[in-house]
Amino acid sequence: MKSLDPRITRWQVDESNRESLEKEHLDQLVTYEVFLQMKEGKAYEHVGIVHASDLDMAFLFAKEQYSRRYTCTGMWVVATEMVTVTEFTDLEENVYDSISTMAAEGNELQSYEVFHLTKRGKQHKHVGQVKAASPEHAQSEAKKHFDDGRPVLNVWVAPSNEFLFSKEEDKVIWSTLHEKTHRDVISYKAADKIKAFKERSQHG
Amino acid sequence: MDSHLNELALKELLYRIADDLLILGHRNSEWTGIGPLLEEDIAFSSMAQDKIGQSLALYELLHQLGEREPDVVAFMRNADQFHNCQFVELPIGGYEFSLIRHFLYDHSLFLRFQALSNSSYEPLAALSRKLVGELRYHVLHASTFIKQLGTATEESISRLQSSLNEAIPYSLGIFEPSPYEKELIDDGIFSGEQELFHQWWSVVNEILGKTALEISQVDQELAKTGGRLGQHTEHLQPLLDEMSEVIKLDPSAEW
Repeated sequence: MKSLDPRITRWQVDESNRESLEKEHLDQLVTYEVFLQMKEGKAYEHVGIVHASDLDMAFLFAKEQYSRRYTCTGMWVVATEMVTVTEFTDLEENVYDSISTMAAEGNELQSYEVFHLTKRGKQHKHVGQVKAASPEHAQSEAKKHFDDGRPVLNVWVAPSNEFLFSKEEDKVIWSTLHEKTHRDVISYKAADKIKAFKERSQHG
Repeated sequence: MDSHLNELALKELLYRIADDLLILGHRNSEWTGIGPLLEEDIAFSSMAQDKIGQSLALYELLHQLGEREPDVVAFMRNADQFHNCQFVELPIGGYEFSLIRHFLYDHSLFLRFQALSNSSYEPLAALSRKLVGELRYHVLHASTFIKQLGTATEESISRLQSSLNEAIPYSLGIFEPSPYEKELIDDGIFSGEQELFHQWWSVVNEILGKTALEISQVDQELAKTGGRLGQHTEHLQPLLDEMSEVIKLDPSAEW
Protein backbone atom coordinates (compact mmCIF):
# COMPACT_ATOMS: atom_id res chain seq x y z
CA MET A 1 0.00 0.00 0.00
CA LYS A 2 1.40 3.39 -1.02
CA SER A 3 0.55 6.18 1.41
CA LEU A 4 1.42 9.85 1.84
CA ASP A 5 2.47 8.81 5.33
CA PRO A 6 5.93 7.26 4.94
CA ARG A 7 5.36 5.08 8.01
CA ILE A 8 2.45 3.34 6.31
CA THR A 9 4.38 2.83 3.09
CA ARG A 10 7.19 1.25 5.11
CA TRP A 11 4.76 -1.30 6.50
CA GLN A 12 4.46 -2.81 3.02
CA VAL A 13 0.89 -3.89 3.72
CA ASP A 14 -0.32 -6.29 1.09
CA GLU A 15 -3.75 -5.03 0.11
CA SER A 16 -4.78 -8.32 -1.44
CA ASN A 17 -4.45 -9.75 2.06
CA ARG A 18 -6.95 -7.38 3.61
CA GLU A 19 -9.77 -9.88 4.11
CA SER A 20 -7.71 -12.15 6.30
CA LEU A 21 -7.33 -9.27 8.77
CA GLU A 22 -11.05 -9.06 9.42
CA LYS A 23 -12.15 -10.43 12.77
CA GLU A 24 -15.11 -12.65 13.35
CA HIS A 25 -15.71 -11.58 16.93
CA LEU A 26 -15.19 -8.42 18.87
CA ASP A 27 -12.04 -8.87 20.88
CA GLN A 28 -12.40 -5.79 23.04
CA LEU A 29 -10.70 -5.96 26.44
CA VAL A 30 -12.75 -5.36 29.59
CA THR A 31 -13.01 -1.94 31.20
CA TYR A 32 -11.51 -0.49 34.36
CA GLU A 33 -12.66 2.61 36.21
CA VAL A 34 -10.05 5.29 36.90
CA PHE A 35 -9.99 7.74 39.82
CA LEU A 36 -7.57 10.63 40.31
CA GLN A 37 -6.61 12.80 43.23
CA MET A 38 -5.96 16.26 41.81
CA LYS A 39 -4.32 17.70 44.93
CA GLU A 40 -2.96 16.38 48.20
CA GLY A 41 -5.85 16.00 50.66
CA LYS A 42 -8.59 16.24 48.01
CA ALA A 43 -11.08 13.43 47.42
CA TYR A 44 -10.36 10.95 44.61
CA GLU A 45 -12.63 11.60 41.65
CA HIS A 46 -13.78 9.33 38.86
CA VAL A 47 -12.31 10.42 35.52
CA GLY A 48 -13.27 7.67 33.09
CA ILE A 49 -12.48 4.17 31.91
CA VAL A 50 -9.68 2.35 30.15
CA HIS A 51 -9.70 -0.98 28.35
CA ALA A 52 -7.05 -3.36 29.67
CA SER A 53 -6.18 -7.00 30.21
CA ASP A 54 -5.67 -6.67 33.98
CA LEU A 55 -5.21 -4.18 36.81
CA ASP A 56 -1.50 -3.57 36.17
CA MET A 57 -2.10 -2.78 32.52
CA ALA A 58 -5.09 -0.62 33.46
CA PHE A 59 -2.84 1.42 35.75
CA LEU A 60 -0.28 1.91 32.95
CA PHE A 61 -2.88 3.03 30.45
CA ALA A 62 -4.83 5.19 32.90
CA LYS A 63 -1.70 7.15 33.80
CA GLU A 64 -1.22 8.44 30.27
CA GLN A 65 -4.90 8.50 29.37
CA TYR A 66 -6.03 10.66 32.29
CA SER A 67 -2.98 12.31 33.81
CA ARG A 68 -0.89 13.35 30.83
CA ARG A 69 -1.87 17.01 30.94
CA TYR A 70 -2.97 18.05 34.43
CA THR A 71 -0.90 17.27 37.42
CA CYS A 72 -2.27 14.92 40.07
CA THR A 73 -1.06 13.29 43.26
CA GLY A 74 -2.53 9.80 43.08
CA MET A 75 -4.46 7.32 40.98
CA TRP A 76 -6.73 4.34 41.68
CA VAL A 77 -8.05 1.75 39.22
CA VAL A 78 -10.65 -0.98 39.69
CA ALA A 79 -12.40 -3.35 37.29
CA THR A 80 -15.80 -2.02 36.23
CA GLU A 81 -17.45 -5.33 37.11
CA MET A 82 -16.35 -4.90 40.74
CA VAL A 83 -18.36 -1.70 41.13
CA THR A 84 -21.92 -2.05 42.44
CA VAL A 85 -24.09 0.84 41.34
CA THR A 86 -27.33 2.04 42.96
CA GLU A 87 -30.24 3.43 40.99
CA PHE A 88 -29.95 6.96 39.64
CA THR A 89 -32.35 9.47 41.12
CA ASP A 90 -33.68 12.53 39.43
CA LEU A 91 -32.92 16.05 40.46
CA GLU A 92 -33.25 16.64 44.18
CA GLU A 93 -34.17 13.13 45.31
CA ASN A 94 -31.74 11.40 47.63
CA VAL A 95 -30.91 7.84 46.52
CA TYR A 96 -30.22 6.89 50.14
CA ASP A 97 -33.95 7.35 50.86
CA SER A 98 -34.61 4.22 48.79
CA ILE A 99 -31.84 2.14 50.39
CA SER A 100 -33.03 0.13 53.35
CA THR A 101 -30.73 -0.53 56.28
CA MET A 102 -29.73 -4.14 56.69
CA ALA A 103 -27.63 -6.18 59.07
CA ALA A 104 -24.46 -8.05 58.14
CA GLU A 105 -25.22 -11.61 57.07
CA GLY A 106 -22.82 -14.34 58.09
CA ASN A 107 -20.00 -13.39 55.72
CA GLU A 108 -16.82 -11.91 57.04
CA LEU A 109 -16.69 -8.15 56.81
CA GLN A 110 -14.41 -6.55 54.27
CA SER A 111 -13.59 -3.00 53.37
CA TYR A 112 -15.46 -1.17 50.56
CA GLU A 113 -14.69 2.18 48.95
CA VAL A 114 -17.74 4.46 48.62
CA PHE A 115 -18.30 7.10 45.93
CA HIS A 116 -21.08 9.70 45.59
CA LEU A 117 -22.51 11.49 42.60
CA THR A 118 -24.08 14.71 43.84
CA LYS A 119 -24.76 16.49 40.58
CA ARG A 120 -25.71 15.21 37.14
CA GLY A 121 -22.88 15.75 34.66
CA LYS A 122 -20.28 15.75 37.44
CA GLN A 123 -18.06 12.85 38.47
CA HIS A 124 -18.39 10.39 41.31
CA LYS A 125 -16.28 11.43 44.29
CA HIS A 126 -14.79 9.24 46.99
CA VAL A 127 -16.41 9.81 50.38
CA GLY A 128 -14.79 7.08 52.48
CA GLN A 129 -14.71 3.41 53.42
CA VAL A 130 -17.16 1.09 55.13
CA LYS A 131 -16.82 -2.46 56.44
CA ALA A 132 -19.47 -4.72 55.00
CA ALA A 133 -20.40 -8.32 54.25
CA SER A 134 -21.71 -7.73 50.71
CA PRO A 135 -22.12 -4.87 48.22
CA GLU A 136 -25.74 -4.41 49.33
CA HIS A 137 -24.64 -4.30 52.94
CA ALA A 138 -21.95 -1.78 51.93
CA GLN A 139 -24.67 0.45 50.48
CA SER A 140 -26.58 0.19 53.70
CA GLU A 141 -23.45 0.98 55.76
CA ALA A 142 -22.75 3.92 53.44
CA LYS A 143 -26.22 5.24 54.18
CA LYS A 144 -25.45 5.00 57.90
CA HIS A 145 -22.12 6.83 57.62
CA PHE A 146 -22.37 9.19 54.66
CA ASP A 147 -26.03 10.21 54.27
CA ASP A 148 -26.29 13.73 55.67
CA GLY A 149 -29.69 14.39 54.12
CA ARG A 150 -28.34 16.33 51.15
CA PRO A 151 -29.33 14.66 47.87
CA VAL A 152 -26.96 12.02 46.51
CA LEU A 153 -28.00 10.96 43.00
CA ASN A 154 -26.02 7.74 42.75
CA VAL A 155 -23.69 5.65 44.92
CA TRP A 156 -20.88 3.30 43.91
CA VAL A 157 -19.34 0.73 46.21
CA ALA A 158 -16.42 -1.56 45.37
CA PRO A 159 -14.27 -3.87 47.52
CA SER A 160 -11.05 -2.10 48.58
CA ASN A 161 -8.92 -5.16 47.87
CA GLU A 162 -9.93 -5.09 44.19
CA PHE A 163 -8.31 -1.67 43.65
CA LEU A 164 -4.81 -0.87 42.52
CA PHE A 165 -3.84 2.23 44.49
CA SER A 166 -0.82 4.29 43.51
CA LYS A 167 1.84 4.19 46.21
CA GLU A 168 3.61 7.05 47.91
CA GLU A 169 6.78 6.35 45.89
CA ASP A 170 4.80 6.42 42.62
CA LYS A 171 4.11 10.15 43.02
CA VAL A 172 7.33 11.09 41.23
CA ILE A 173 5.87 9.81 37.93
CA TRP A 174 3.82 13.02 37.84
CA SER A 175 6.56 15.35 39.05
CA THR A 176 7.51 16.87 35.68
CA LEU A 177 3.93 17.21 34.42
CA HIS A 178 3.58 20.92 35.18
CA GLU A 179 6.46 21.60 32.76
CA LYS A 180 4.88 19.79 29.83
CA THR A 181 3.21 22.84 28.36
CA HIS A 182 3.82 21.37 24.89
CA ARG A 183 0.82 19.15 25.62
CA ASP A 184 -1.47 22.16 26.00
CA VAL A 185 -2.90 23.72 22.87
CA ILE A 186 -2.92 27.09 24.58
CA SER A 187 0.86 27.20 24.94
CA TYR A 188 1.26 27.34 21.16
CA LYS A 189 -0.57 30.69 21.08
CA ALA A 190 -2.00 29.69 17.71
CA ALA A 191 -4.75 32.32 17.78
CA ASP A 192 -2.21 35.12 18.36
CA LYS A 193 -0.05 33.85 15.53
CA ILE A 194 -2.96 33.61 13.10
CA LYS A 195 -4.03 37.14 14.05
CA ALA A 196 -0.51 38.47 13.52
CA PHE A 197 -0.32 36.67 10.18
CA LYS A 198 -3.65 38.15 9.04
CA GLU A 199 -2.54 41.62 10.04
CA ARG A 200 0.72 41.20 8.19
CA SER A 201 -1.00 40.02 5.03
CA GLN A 202 -3.56 42.87 5.16
CA HIS A 203 -0.86 45.48 5.45
CA GLY A 204 1.60 43.76 3.19
CA MET B 1 34.86 23.31 34.62
CA ASP B 2 38.43 22.76 35.74
CA SER B 3 39.95 21.95 32.39
CA HIS B 4 39.40 21.82 28.68
CA LEU B 5 39.62 18.04 28.70
CA ASN B 6 36.81 17.64 31.22
CA GLU B 7 34.57 19.79 29.12
CA LEU B 8 35.17 17.58 26.10
CA ALA B 9 34.44 14.51 28.21
CA LEU B 10 31.28 16.04 29.59
CA LYS B 11 30.04 17.14 26.17
CA GLU B 12 30.64 13.68 24.72
CA LEU B 13 28.60 12.18 27.55
CA LEU B 14 25.76 14.67 27.10
CA TYR B 15 25.69 14.17 23.33
CA ARG B 16 25.46 10.41 23.58
CA ILE B 17 22.45 10.55 25.93
CA ALA B 18 20.73 13.43 24.11
CA ASP B 19 21.18 11.83 20.69
CA ASP B 20 19.94 8.45 21.95
CA LEU B 21 16.82 10.12 23.31
CA LEU B 22 16.11 12.21 20.22
CA ILE B 23 16.46 9.26 17.85
CA LEU B 24 14.59 6.76 20.03
CA GLY B 25 11.89 9.35 20.73
CA HIS B 26 11.47 9.87 17.01
CA ARG B 27 11.45 6.15 16.29
CA ASN B 28 8.86 5.41 18.98
CA SER B 29 6.70 8.28 17.75
CA GLU B 30 6.38 6.40 14.46
CA TRP B 31 3.77 4.28 16.28
CA THR B 32 1.51 7.26 16.91
CA GLY B 33 -1.88 6.54 15.38
CA ILE B 34 -1.04 2.96 14.47
CA GLY B 35 -0.37 1.45 17.90
CA PRO B 36 -1.87 -1.93 18.83
CA LEU B 37 -4.70 -0.46 20.91
CA LEU B 38 -5.86 3.06 21.63
CA GLU B 39 -4.71 3.21 25.26
CA GLU B 40 -1.27 1.89 24.36
CA ASP B 41 -1.01 4.22 21.38
CA ILE B 42 -1.48 7.15 23.77
CA ALA B 43 0.92 5.79 26.39
CA PHE B 44 3.70 4.95 23.93
CA SER B 45 3.31 8.30 22.14
CA SER B 46 3.46 10.17 25.44
CA MET B 47 6.67 8.42 26.38
CA ALA B 48 8.14 9.15 22.93
CA GLN B 49 7.32 12.80 23.53
CA ASP B 50 8.95 12.60 26.98
CA LYS B 51 12.12 11.28 25.38
CA ILE B 52 12.29 14.16 22.93
CA GLY B 53 11.67 16.53 25.84
CA GLN B 54 14.53 14.90 27.75
CA SER B 55 16.83 15.28 24.73
CA LEU B 56 15.92 18.96 24.56
CA ALA B 57 16.87 19.44 28.22
CA LEU B 58 20.26 17.85 27.51
CA TYR B 59 20.82 19.89 24.33
CA GLU B 60 20.11 22.96 26.46
CA LEU B 61 22.88 21.92 28.87
CA LEU B 62 25.16 21.55 25.84
CA HIS B 63 24.11 24.98 24.62
CA GLN B 64 25.11 26.42 28.01
CA LEU B 65 28.51 24.83 27.43
CA GLY B 66 28.88 26.67 24.12
CA GLU B 67 27.29 24.25 21.62
CA ARG B 68 24.76 25.53 19.10
CA GLU B 69 21.03 25.99 19.76
CA PRO B 70 19.04 22.79 20.40
CA ASP B 71 17.09 23.01 17.12
CA VAL B 72 20.25 23.45 15.08
CA VAL B 73 21.95 20.56 16.85
CA ALA B 74 18.90 18.32 16.53
CA PHE B 75 17.91 19.03 12.94
CA MET B 76 20.97 20.23 11.05
CA ARG B 77 23.57 17.55 11.65
CA ASN B 78 24.31 14.60 9.41
CA ALA B 79 24.30 11.00 10.57
CA ASP B 80 28.06 10.83 11.09
CA GLN B 81 27.83 13.70 13.61
CA PHE B 82 25.42 11.80 15.85
CA HIS B 83 26.65 10.03 19.00
CA ASN B 84 23.67 7.73 19.54
CA CYS B 85 24.14 3.99 19.75
CA GLN B 86 23.04 2.04 16.67
CA PHE B 87 20.35 0.27 18.72
CA VAL B 88 18.05 3.32 18.85
CA GLU B 89 18.19 4.04 15.12
CA LEU B 90 17.01 0.58 14.00
CA PRO B 91 13.56 0.64 12.38
CA ILE B 92 10.56 0.06 14.66
CA GLY B 93 10.00 -3.45 13.30
CA GLY B 94 6.94 -5.22 14.72
CA TYR B 95 5.52 -4.03 18.03
CA GLU B 96 7.37 -6.83 19.80
CA PHE B 97 10.70 -5.41 18.63
CA SER B 98 9.78 -1.88 19.69
CA LEU B 99 8.71 -3.20 23.12
CA ILE B 100 11.91 -5.17 23.60
CA ARG B 101 13.99 -2.13 22.65
CA HIS B 102 11.90 0.06 24.99
CA PHE B 103 12.52 -2.47 27.78
CA LEU B 104 16.26 -2.89 27.23
CA TYR B 105 17.04 0.75 26.49
CA ASP B 106 14.84 2.39 29.13
CA HIS B 107 16.24 0.30 31.94
CA SER B 108 19.73 1.46 30.96
CA LEU B 109 18.53 5.06 30.89
CA PHE B 110 16.78 4.83 34.25
CA LEU B 111 19.98 3.46 35.84
CA ARG B 112 22.10 6.04 33.99
CA PHE B 113 20.03 8.95 35.33
CA GLN B 114 20.09 7.44 38.80
CA ALA B 115 23.90 7.32 38.63
CA LEU B 116 24.05 10.84 37.17
CA SER B 117 21.89 12.15 40.02
CA ASN B 118 25.17 12.14 41.98
CA SER B 119 27.25 13.70 39.21
CA SER B 120 29.87 16.28 40.19
CA TYR B 121 28.51 18.39 37.33
CA GLU B 122 25.61 19.88 39.25
CA PRO B 123 23.40 21.00 36.31
CA LEU B 124 23.41 17.40 35.04
CA ALA B 125 22.83 15.99 38.53
CA ALA B 126 19.83 18.28 39.03
CA LEU B 127 18.35 17.38 35.64
CA SER B 128 18.88 13.68 36.30
CA ARG B 129 17.15 13.82 39.68
CA LYS B 130 14.21 15.44 37.96
CA LEU B 131 13.98 12.94 35.08
CA VAL B 132 14.24 9.83 37.24
CA GLY B 133 10.57 10.24 38.21
CA GLU B 134 9.43 10.45 34.61
CA LEU B 135 11.50 7.38 33.76
CA ARG B 136 10.04 5.43 36.66
CA TYR B 137 6.83 5.24 34.65
CA HIS B 138 8.69 4.33 31.44
CA VAL B 139 10.38 1.32 33.03
CA LEU B 140 7.18 0.31 34.83
CA HIS B 141 5.44 0.34 31.46
CA ALA B 142 8.22 -1.65 29.79
CA SER B 143 8.58 -4.23 32.55
CA THR B 144 4.82 -4.78 32.90
CA PHE B 145 4.47 -5.40 29.16
CA ILE B 146 7.43 -7.76 29.05
CA LYS B 147 6.23 -9.70 32.10
CA GLN B 148 2.74 -10.03 30.64
CA LEU B 149 3.57 -10.89 27.05
CA GLY B 150 6.63 -12.87 28.10
CA THR B 151 4.37 -15.29 29.95
CA ALA B 152 1.22 -15.10 27.81
CA THR B 153 0.96 -17.31 24.72
CA GLU B 154 3.30 -19.38 22.61
CA GLU B 155 3.10 -16.74 19.90
CA SER B 156 3.79 -13.75 22.18
CA ILE B 157 6.72 -15.56 23.80
CA SER B 158 8.33 -16.70 20.56
CA ARG B 159 7.92 -13.30 18.91
CA LEU B 160 9.45 -11.51 21.90
CA GLN B 161 12.25 -14.06 22.13
CA SER B 162 13.23 -13.61 18.52
CA SER B 163 13.20 -9.81 18.91
CA LEU B 164 15.29 -10.19 22.04
CA ASN B 165 17.85 -12.31 20.19
CA GLU B 166 18.04 -9.69 17.47
CA ALA B 167 18.24 -6.78 19.94
CA ILE B 168 20.87 -8.04 22.38
CA PRO B 169 24.03 -7.37 20.29
CA TYR B 170 22.77 -3.85 19.58
CA SER B 171 21.80 -3.26 23.21
CA LEU B 172 25.40 -3.97 24.23
CA GLY B 173 26.33 -1.00 22.04
CA ILE B 174 24.55 1.29 24.52
CA PHE B 175 27.58 0.81 26.79
CA GLU B 176 30.30 1.48 24.23
CA PRO B 177 32.97 3.25 26.32
CA SER B 178 33.62 6.92 25.86
CA PRO B 179 37.12 7.96 24.75
CA TYR B 180 37.08 9.94 28.03
CA GLU B 181 35.89 7.14 30.30
CA LYS B 182 38.73 7.58 32.80
CA GLU B 183 38.36 11.36 33.03
CA LEU B 184 34.59 11.06 33.60
CA ILE B 185 35.10 8.58 36.42
CA ASP B 186 38.07 10.35 38.00
CA ASP B 187 36.24 13.66 38.08
CA GLY B 188 33.07 12.13 39.48
CA ILE B 189 31.01 13.21 36.46
CA PHE B 190 29.77 9.68 35.75
CA SER B 191 30.46 6.25 37.23
CA GLY B 192 31.22 4.82 33.79
CA GLU B 193 29.73 2.59 31.10
CA GLN B 194 31.09 -0.64 32.52
CA GLU B 195 29.49 -0.20 35.91
CA LEU B 196 26.25 0.82 34.22
CA PHE B 197 26.37 -2.30 32.06
CA HIS B 198 26.71 -4.58 35.10
CA GLN B 199 23.79 -2.94 36.91
CA TRP B 200 21.66 -3.13 33.77
CA TRP B 201 22.54 -6.74 33.10
CA SER B 202 21.40 -7.80 36.56
CA VAL B 203 18.13 -5.78 36.45
CA VAL B 204 17.20 -6.99 32.96
CA ASN B 205 17.94 -10.62 33.78
CA GLU B 206 16.01 -10.44 37.02
CA ILE B 207 12.90 -9.28 35.17
CA LEU B 208 13.33 -11.73 32.32
CA GLY B 209 13.69 -14.44 34.98
CA LYS B 210 10.00 -13.93 35.73
CA THR B 211 9.10 -14.68 32.11
CA ALA B 212 9.63 -17.49 29.62
CA LEU B 213 12.19 -15.30 27.84
CA GLU B 214 15.91 -15.68 28.22
CA ILE B 215 19.15 -14.14 27.08
CA SER B 216 21.48 -16.77 25.77
CA GLN B 217 25.09 -16.28 26.86
CA VAL B 218 26.31 -13.14 25.15
CA ASP B 219 29.60 -12.58 23.47
CA GLN B 220 30.81 -9.02 24.04
CA GLU B 221 32.70 -9.37 20.76
CA LEU B 222 29.37 -9.31 18.97
CA ALA B 223 28.37 -5.94 20.44
CA LYS B 224 27.23 -3.53 17.73
CA THR B 225 29.43 -0.56 18.56
CA GLY B 226 30.64 2.47 16.62
CA GLY B 227 27.50 4.56 17.04
CA ARG B 228 29.13 6.67 19.75
CA LEU B 229 31.88 7.55 17.23
CA GLY B 230 29.49 8.49 14.46
CA GLN B 231 29.47 5.13 12.68
CA HIS B 232 25.86 4.31 11.95
CA THR B 233 23.66 1.85 10.12
CA GLU B 234 21.98 2.77 6.84
CA HIS B 235 18.82 3.53 8.84
CA LEU B 236 19.91 6.75 10.56
CA GLN B 237 20.26 9.19 7.64
CA PRO B 238 16.74 8.51 6.24
CA LEU B 239 15.35 9.04 9.77
CA LEU B 240 17.18 12.39 10.02
CA ASP B 241 15.95 13.43 6.58
CA GLU B 242 12.38 12.64 7.53
CA MET B 243 12.66 14.31 10.95
CA SER B 244 14.07 17.54 9.53
CA GLU B 245 11.88 17.64 6.41
CA VAL B 246 9.58 20.37 7.75
CA ILE B 247 12.14 22.59 9.48
CA LYS B 248 14.30 22.57 6.37
CA LEU B 249 11.46 24.09 4.33
CA ASP B 250 11.93 27.24 6.38
CA PRO B 251 14.63 27.07 9.06
CA SER B 252 13.78 30.56 10.30
CA ALA B 253 10.08 29.81 10.94
CA GLU B 254 8.87 30.43 14.47
CA TRP B 255 6.88 27.62 16.12
